[in-house]
Amino acid sequence: MSVETPILIIVIPLISAVLTPLMGLWKKVLSYICAITALSLCTLASVNTLYRVLTDGSIHYRLGSWPPPFGIELVVDHLNGMMLVIVSVISLSVAVYSYRSIEQELPGKAVYFYTLYLLQVTGFLGILITGDLFNLYVFLEIASLAGYALIAVGEDGAPVACFRYIVMGTIGACFYLLGVGYIYISTGSLNMADVHLLIQKLYDTKVIATAIAFILTGLAVKMALFPLHVWLPDAYTKAPSATSALIAPLMTKVSIYVMIRILFSVFEISLFVEVFPLTKIMVWAGIAAICGGAVMALAQTDFKRMLCYILVAEVGYMVGGLGLANAVAIRGAILHILNDAVMTAGLFTVAGIIMHKIKSRRLADFEGLFKRMPFTMSAFVVCALSMIGVPPTCGFFSKWYLIQGAILAGEWPFVAALLGSSLINVILFFRIIEIGFVFKSSMQGHPHDKERMDKIDEAPLSMLIPTVGIATAIILIGFYNQAIVKHIIDFALPKF
Amino acid sequence: MIVGALLIYGTMDMPGWGDPNSPASTHVSPYYLRNSLKDTATPNVVTSILADYRGYDTLGETTVIFTAGMACILLLRKRRKK
Amino acid sequence: MFEFLLRHYNYWMFIGLMMIGFYAMMAKKNLIKKIIGMNIFQSAIILFFISTSVKGGGVSVPILQYAHKGAKAGIVDVMQYANPLPHVLMLTAIVVMVATLGVALAVAIMIYRRYDTLEEDEIRLRRKRGS
Repeated sequence: MSVETPILIIVIPLISAVLTPLMGLWKKVLSYICAITALSLCTLASVNTLYRVLTDGSIHYRLGSWPPPFGIELVVDHLNGMMLVIVSVISLSVAVYSYRSIEQELPGKAVYFYTLYLLQVTGFLGILITGDLFNLYVFLEIASLAGYALIAVGEDGAPVACFRYIVMGTIGACFYLLGVGYIYISTGSLNMADVHLLIQKLYDTKVIATAIAFILTGLAVKMALFPLHVWLPDAYTKAPSATSALIAPLMTKVSIYVMIRILFSVFEISLFVEVFPLTKIMVWAGIAAICGGAVMALAQTDFKRMLCYILVAEVGYMVGGLGLANAVAIRGAILHILNDAVMTAGLFTVAGIIMHKIKSRRLADFEGLFKRMPFTMSAFVVCALSMIGVPPTCGFFSKWYLIQGAILAGEWPFVAALLGSSLINVILFFRIIEIGFVFKSSMQGHPHDKERMDKIDEAPLSMLIPTVGIATAIILIGFYNQAIVKHIIDFALPKF
Repeated sequence: MIVGALLIYGTMDMPGWGDPNSPASTHVSPYYLRNSLKDTATPNVVTSILADYRGYDTLGETTVIFTAGMACILLLRKRRKK
Repeated sequence: MFEFLLRHYNYWMFIGLMMIGFYAMMAKKNLIKKIIGMNIFQSAIILFFISTSVKGGGVSVPILQYAHKGAKAGIVDVMQYANPLPHVLMLTAIVVMVATLGVALAVAIMIYRRYDTLEEDEIRLRRKRGS
């Protein structure tokens, strides 16, 4: 059984995605149970896989027992294993969380929602686990298509926002395909390890340069790197709460993972530092993303939209960290993938709970929430502290590594951007916390408001447990981050 | 325009059209052509690759169609008037 | 130089096609025209790849001859058949393209039902007015 776990990780969500509509048409609640069961099994499988990778080293699983490069193989190493667990756990938490909110926002369509949810998780896991470039494109499209549909059923402006996302996302995926095609034309193979060997002779040809440019641009669209991020705020704000809680943390991080794979495992890192000035471009793109995201976030009055711009800034951290190209910074960037996924999941689930309860996302409506929903808002405070970078939450450690790496590389603008954005995050979140604490002062003379406030109580349990769970995880990851770095991330670093 | 120029720039180093010695044709493909009948008993090499050597891609492709179908149902079904 | 142009002209044709599609996606205001542009762009990519699978002048499709009724194929002359791998990859890409087209059109239908128009400018106006 445990030899087959890599493929099980894909197969379980896939088969349940087929079963879910069938069971759901019979009894609606069964689709929910089916999804939860599938995701729990999937989490078990990915934890098992990670454990095997930690004890035995990387896993190469050949599909159909054809040796690569003639067949497709699944490769799980430390970076993969960690990300598989992240994706499984977050999707399980959000699935538990989504039951109530989907009932409210999408009446009658819950069955198909869960089907697409499982398909999207299949897509993400497929991207993470594959060792073949074209296979990655197929699963990227599975995840993207499911994402388009999940976003388009949101509130009023959702289809328009989604259409823009479809056009940009498809261009991105096609650019990726073009890049892979150029690599294929010049090397003749699609397997990542094989291409890594073959491409060493071809480093200074124009074909490879074009291929790299296209692949990275395509991925930049998918990960919402500034200035290709324009689809993100509209799409994630107007999507249903459960969708944003699922896609927002994961889609961008998975695309960043693909970029790491392409840069480090397929091409050598030394190529980029010496031959192309790519690392400089990455650092500057990161700085632009951080500044742009932070500035736009300050101007928002809609909570979820503000979170989307913060997400754009976070992507800037990671890309800039990768661009610094020294061991400390890359360690920080990879740790930040883990941290940011958890933090963003936490923040978007809080946003969803608030939306569920008070049906509004304007910051001005957040008055008095601390008294009424203490657990939710404490989870929010933990996530906010992590975004700012306060120890012992996990956000502090990844920022610390990134700052160290930036100082080591002498990139002072990046250090300034990191510190500046932490300050701006402080402003943003404390503004919300302040509004949340204001309670009785403006309530007099507004009987309608008081009535509304009385109706707000603590969030339903099924939505609350995942949120609090994620907040606890943030603190736990902070405490254990040394162990995580030592055992997992250090093995994922490329050899210099 | 920029995209087109970049693409054309990239083709300058490519092997000419129909070059039988290009790496794309000589690295992996001869294995498929030679061993397809022996391994899979199918003379149609395209099918044997699609269904056997790279069958996982075909699984993904089927999933893509399924996803698109489900997406259309989710997006287009009108709420039944009670 | 001229010989260089001649050798690579197939790639350039398809790049031209890609440019047409890309331009349509970016510049046109009607949603359906954007979708059609996307389709042209993706089809051009697919054709681009298939054109790389040809070897020399008279190459046949990658279906082995003399292999019916259980006959042994013997030694297969690799040079006689076109490269099958791009064909396979592009089959999958075509399927993905059609699926994306379907989802894009479904979203366009949703937009039409809501706003009664498919021009991007009109939609923006109607959203501002709070239609």
